[in-house]
Amino acid sequence: MIDGAIPVTLRVNGDDYQLEVEPQWTLADTLRERLGLTGTKMMCEQGECGACTVLINGLPVLSCLTLAIECQGMDIMTIEGVADPQTGELHPIQQAFVERSGMQCGVCTPAMVLTAKALLDENDSPTEGDIRQALAGNICRCGNYKRIVECVQVSAEMMRGGKAHA
Amino acid sequence: MARAAEATKGTARRLGHFDARSVEEAVSLLSQNPGARIIAGGVDLVALMKSQVISPAALVNIKTVPGLAYIREDAQGLKIGPLTTIAQIARSETVRERYPLVAQAASVVGAAQVRNMGTLAGNLCQQVRCWYYRRSPVTGTSFFCRRKGGERCYAVAGENEHHAIFGDVCDAVCPSDLAPALVALQAVVRTAGPDGEREVPLEHFYTPMGNVLQPDEMITGIEVPAPSSNTRERFLKFRLRKAIDFAIASVAAAVTTESGVVTDARIVLGGVAPGPYRAVSAEEIITGQALSGSLAETAARAALSGASPLSKNAHKVPIAEALVKRALTR
Repeated sequence: MIDGAIPVTLRVNGDDYQLEVEPQWTLADTLRERLGLTGTKMMCEQGECGACTVLINGLPVLSCLTLAIECQGMDIMTIEGVADPQTGELHPIQQAFVERSGMQCGVCTPAMVLTAKALLDENDSPTEGDIRQALAGNICRCGNYKRIVECVQVSAEMMRGGKAHA
Repeated sequence: MARAAEATKGTARRLGHFDARSVEEAVSLLSQNPGARIIAGGVDLVALMKSQVISPAALVNIKTVPGLAYIREDAQGLKIGPLTTIAQIARSETVRERYPLVAQAASVVGAAQVRNMGTLAGNLCQQVRCWYYRRSPVTGTSFFCRRKGGERCYAVAGENEHHAIFGDVCDAVCPSDLAPALVALQAVVRTAGPDGEREVPLEHFYTPMGNVLQPDEMITGIEVPAPSSNTRERFLKFRLRKAIDFAIASVAAAVTTESGVVTDARIVLGGVAPGPYRAVSAEEIITGQALSGSLAETAARAALSGASPLSKNAHKVPIAEALVKRALTR
């Protein structure tokens, strides 16, 4: 029986963090409040908006509906781990969002970038339909969808080696 | 720490958490800990816990049980493990080629994140989306409805546009997309409990208030008999936002024909009743006949003939009729 705060090890962006969590703490809360990784956003907290998306073992999941205690042994990637850890150079998707105004208020952006990254890691030449389908669970309240889709298209080109900049 | 500390304060007692290593251990943990719940994908359960609609005494994590996520096919048919994710089902070549109804239904569940997290058993056992039932007491208002042991259904005289048109003591609808598809293919649910294993046809799994699982029982697998090569399968779902919504209405149809004549038909509606609703009268109308547009229309009308819409959801009748007609004609 495990009861109360319990020690766990979480692997986030390649680093192991040892901390104590209560069983009901969500991964989103734990990332933000315990590890200070506030790039992960929380909006609806009911699984409808996608703003809390992180990658677990490469797949987009909702960190606000995932219990931190159940993430041991998994590879968690947040927006803080997307840029090159050595040089700090932005990932092509981030670069495209910056250069082409992929964000307005920015609250949905970390999740958009991560969800797009999971898509491009699997499919380097997605159609517009593939991109829209992949991002369907990420709501942008500013309604910036057209530019977001363009950013993903441009970054896919960059990642295929077509262009150095968006 | 603000949020996390708040969440802790909101829980009257400390939440227990167990990582089960086997089905036997999971079942015995459920038996030994009254008020414990199984957690798999957590999509529905964690949301309900956060809003304090459900406050389990303990969680029994079955993600730590090896061998519960699988998709296998043999001479008898398809076997899917309870921990198999919706995304794995939607992507499986076996399911797509041999059981397209299941793949079609899986591919329209929620959005990608939900399909990556959600499991087969979780999809089948998820709670209703009725906004009276799910209203969080944290907001200062909650509804002690029949599903919670109260005496009233607040939807009857309230906002009921997403509720049942084939209602019962509770007018909430079963939100699962996989349920109607699997009922149409005559799937059987395997369960394990302290008294051993059971096999329950999915068609008889749902009750007006939930399902037949005991608090210390769990789903250990789903079996789908191999369909005839002459069976045509179609799943159609109507929803307002294609990206993420639950069904306003859905239909799963499996129609077997020989020499142009229907020899067997299963037509099951989702989003209209507390469980998947089998439209037997529509099945009878097309069986023994050659399918045509006008026959499909007659069957569609028959499928909805027993509907008794609430004050604000009569629109579900023509929507479901149109889905049945399309499923039988295209």
